[in-house]
Amino acid sequence: MLSNYFNKMRGTTKSPPAVNLSEIFWSWIGAFLGISTVALISYKVLEGKGLTMIIGSFGASAVLIYGAVKSPLAQPRNLLGGHVFSAIIGVTSYQLFQSHIWFAAAIAVATAIAFMHATKTLHPPGGATALIAVIGGESVHKLGYLYAIIPTAVGASIMLAVALLINNIPKSRRYPEFWL
Amino acid sequence: MGENIKKKDLTIDIEISDNDIYEAMKDIPGYLDITPADLKDVYKLAYRHALQRITQAVRAHDIMTTQVFSVNRTTPVMEVAELMAEKTVSGIPVLEEDGKVAGIISEKDFLSHMGSRDKTHFMAVVAECLQGKGCVAMPIRSQKAEDIMTSPAVAVKEDTSVIEIANLFTEKNINRVPVINEEGRLKGIVSRADIVLASLMKTKSKQ
Repeated sequence: MLSNYFNKMRGTTKSPPAVNLSEIFWSWIGAFLGISTVALISYKVLEGKGLTMIIGSFGASAVLIYGAVKSPLAQPRNLLGGHVFSAIIGVTSYQLFQSHIWFAAAIAVATAIAFMHATKTLHPPGGATALIAVIGGESVHKLGYLYAIIPTAVGASIMLAVALLINNIPKSRRYPEFWL
Repeated sequence: MGENIKKKDLTIDIEISDNDIYEAMKDIPGYLDITPADLKDVYKLAYRHALQRITQAVRAHDIMTTQVFSVNRTTPVMEVAELMAEKTVSGIPVLEEDGKVAGIISEKDFLSHMGSRDKTHFMAVVAECLQGKGCVAMPIRSQKAEDIMTSPAVAVKEDTSVIEIANLFTEKNINRVPVINEEGRLKGIVSRADIVLASLMKTKSKQ
């Protein structure tokens, strides 16, 4: 019984194969263009207006939508749904429990995961989006629910557009696997 | 009859190694967000579902040959042999006057009724002919279909599943089986080849 429990920790299989050079190249191109687009808008257009187009969780999204394009977690439904739902949950958590930041942070991430599961929009960076709504500091807090639209919804949409344009160039890639 | 054959569990175990899966994953360009072990589990389960679906969902009337040549009880065996040769079939149903299946004649029935000493092997018949003992088929020359047919024939209903038919083939060591309706009338025939063809076409149409 107990040995079985510890045996489970040994793992059962080997890690998946490495990707080839072309895959690495296109992942790099996609991520560079996707992040540079939202970053440019953020730092060249929105700078000084109290708005931003980039949040940390977009870095994680880039891994998925440019680096693991076949993953169910990387599909448009997950990318947009995961970010937007989590942003709303994060903002709500902060506004309800801001006197206990530790609790607001935990409830935001946990609820975001549960909600993404229930809505089939699981997107790991969504957890970060929810967390940032709580621990992102004054600049994020003062956005209120606008945070769910700018930067979250609009930024994720821009990253999605880049994914659609770039991931369908190489013969060996196709994106998305599904929309809904 | 087909419905008396017990449904056997499918004991087809897929011999697929972790390495097969790993190599298959390498064949697919791009990063696959799944471990080889999980993929293997998915593959095995999917295979089992497919087997179940195909073997249970496909029934006799889906794959049977409906254009069946048949003879009557009183058809002379010579005509039976001629018809089987002309239509290139290795078995032919024998019908009653009202269309019910009375029996079935296969090449094996010819062999076992001919004058050969070894009654099961075609080559034994050839050998005896070559030994100058004359045509061993002569003794049955004046016989009729009903004299050499296997009766009653093993038959199946139109909704008998393919897996049951396949088991029947193995169990009774036969190669074809007439398909009959509720009244016992001949509706078609299923041969081993029909089963193979059906599974091939299923695979093809999905691609």
